[in-house]
Amino acid sequence: MNPGKASGPAVRIENLDKHYGTFHALRKVNLSVGRGERIVVCGPSGSGKSTVIRCINRLEQHDGGRITVLGTELNDDVANIDGIRREVGMVFQHFNLFPHMTVLENCMIAPMIVRKLPRTEAETTARRYLEKVRIPEQAMKFPGQLSGGQQQRVAIARALCMQPQIMLFDEPTSALDPEMISEVLDVMVTLASDGMTMICVTHEMGFARRVADRVVFMDGGEIVEEAPPEEFFTSCRNDRTRQFLSQILGH
Amino acid sequence: MVSLLRNQKVRNALLQVLYVGALAALVLAGVVIARRNLAEQGITSGFDFLYKSTGWDVNFSLLPATANDPYWWFFLIGIINTLFLGTVGLMLATLVGTIVGLARTSSNELARLLGRTYVDIFRNIPLILQVFFWYAVITHLPTPRAAHEAWGMMLTSRGLYVPIPNVGAIAFAAAILAVIAAIALPVWLGRTSRLSQPFGERLGIQLAAAATALATAAVILALGRLPDLPLLDFPALQGLNLKGGLRIPPEFSALAIAIAIYGGSYIAEIVRGGFKSVGKGQMEAALSLGLSPWRVFTLVRLPLALRAMLPILANQYVWLMKATTMGIAVGFTDFFMIVALTINHSGQTLETIGILMAGFLAINLSLAAIFNRINKAIALKGNQLRA
Ligand SMILES: Nc1ncnc2c1ncn2[C@@H]1O[C@H](COP(=O)(O)OP(=O)(O)OP(=O)(O)O)[C@@H](O)[C@H]1O
Ligand SMILES: [Mg+2]
Repeated sequence: MNPGKASGPAVRIENLDKHYGTFHALRKVNLSVGRGERIVVCGPSGSGKSTVIRCINRLEQHDGGRITVLGTELNDDVANIDGIRREVGMVFQHFNLFPHMTVLENCMIAPMIVRKLPRTEAETTARRYLEKVRIPEQAMKFPGQLSGGQQQRVAIARALCMQPQIMLFDEPTSALDPEMISEVLDVMVTLASDGMTMICVTHEMGFARRVADRVVFMDGGEIVEEAPPEEFFTSCRNDRTRQFLSQILGH
Repeated sequence: MVSLLRNQKVRNALLQVLYVGALAALVLAGVVIARRNLAEQGITSGFDFLYKSTGWDVNFSLLPATANDPYWWFFLIGIINTLFLGTVGLMLATLVGTIVGLARTSSNELARLLGRTYVDIFRNIPLILQVFFWYAVITHLPTPRAAHEAWGMMLTSRGLYVPIPNVGAIAFAAAILAVIAAIALPVWLGRTSRLSQPFGERLGIQLAAAATALATAAVILALGRLPDLPLLDFPALQGLNLKGGLRIPPEFSALAIAIAIYGGSYIAEIVRGGFKSVGKGQMEAALSLGLSPWRVFTLVRLPLALRAMLPILANQYVWLMKATTMGIAVGFTDFFMIVALTINHSGQTLETIGILMAGFLAINLSLAAIFNRINKAIALKGNQLRA
């Protein structure tokens, strides 16, 4: 089992179903993401956006349908789960850095333990990605000593240090002050232009317009609409989509 | 002058001076009055009595003790007994607390229920009752002739007999220190160099340190060995009683068990709180990086939980240390009991109480100081509100 070598889409989600207790959170969701493709997922609160992307790296367990990541099916097989998590990075709304480790250690720990990189190599990689997210000078600080925007950029660097093939973003800018949003989005744009496969849950429509290949709109646990950004913003067919867009764009 | 009084720093300093002055006056007045009263009763105050022999004996001591020994030696014995009971009790309580606390946070419903029942029961029975209970249980064990035997140890109503090495006292103490070093060194090495060596290499260094310390202990034991005796002294039946080995009296066992079980129920709650306080987000982030659940536990969950637990745990330890004074209830010669006996026999109440307070203050302040240092060393840096 060696995810990544097989051809085919990066992520294929077929008839995905998910319940929380009796609550039906996802209803027959279908989504295919090609390699190098950038997807933006949006939709009202509670529509199941987080649930979908958390299913892709098994932070949530789905109870119906199939998820195939880089040719490997996500099931109860621990080796499959480990293999997929190694290739799929994730960035969270609240950063979730390890507060007891320095920025550098945050970035080195997983490559050293999971990828078994020697220390020097892990450090070189970590410094390279810290450079890339434009905070090389903060390497020896602790997360609690950084601003929100800096913390989120460390979180992106930490995920990139595993050299994943796919990156998941769950509202990476929602917990940030307005002036910090752009520094994080800039990093994400750079990442997109490097050809990274990205699935981003975000309401930053400017970002969607600029980098997304497709925008996916979810409501009530379903994918309601799916279109390239131009088409999505100008000529969406669905009422719910239109209402949602007017709410987030219309003031 | 008025403007000087308005200065915040000057004000604070002035308040401090007033406070210390009032306190000193109070203490001084107390001493003067007490001296006058004692003089009227014909009791000479002072610490000369410390050098007189006691005329009574203690039932448990790690140091040699006879009725001819002076009071100061008995105080030392008392402090060491208290420290010994405290250390054993705290370690056992921590072990029990960790197991029960983890059970309470487990995803297994039965484990959670058992943990909760344990805490509900043992936290709500007064410690002194638990001490009496275990004392009664142990003193109703079989007599030495029908002793339960396991691994060379004998369990009887007169206490637990364990084999001890036939080694000189100093060598024995040194060997114990070396064994402690064997445990502490790897921990310390691991803390100071979390990422400065690759993980495999670090483990090697830790193992080497532990092995060296253990080898030192073995050499010390071999050198300090008493001539013409077997290395281990096993307890054996002689007539109606057991001879040889080290006797751990029922009083000590009852106290240690009670402190372990009662303290464990409090520590379990601290452990549970510590683990509950660790954000789910950090664990999810670790999982999403491909770290195994075990690594997530040891690298993220446990270190963060420990940081939340330690300050409260330190309080609990200080509190349990004071609980060793329950020794007097079953007749274990801890520091407090030695003090009580001394007051009875010598009449030097004030001095003895002073020694008692100073002793416990020293023990508990050292404990607190150690924990403060650890806390400071591992405290999370910066503002954690955002993380
Ligand atoms: N652990 C859980 N237990 C029970 N219900 C949950 C759980 N997680 C999510 N839900 C429910 O599932 C639904 C979808 O949640 P999800 O977090 O995917 O929404 P979302 O689209 O990401 O919303 P938001 O924009 O607020 O983040 C919501 O109604 C939520 O209440
Ligand atoms: Mg969400």
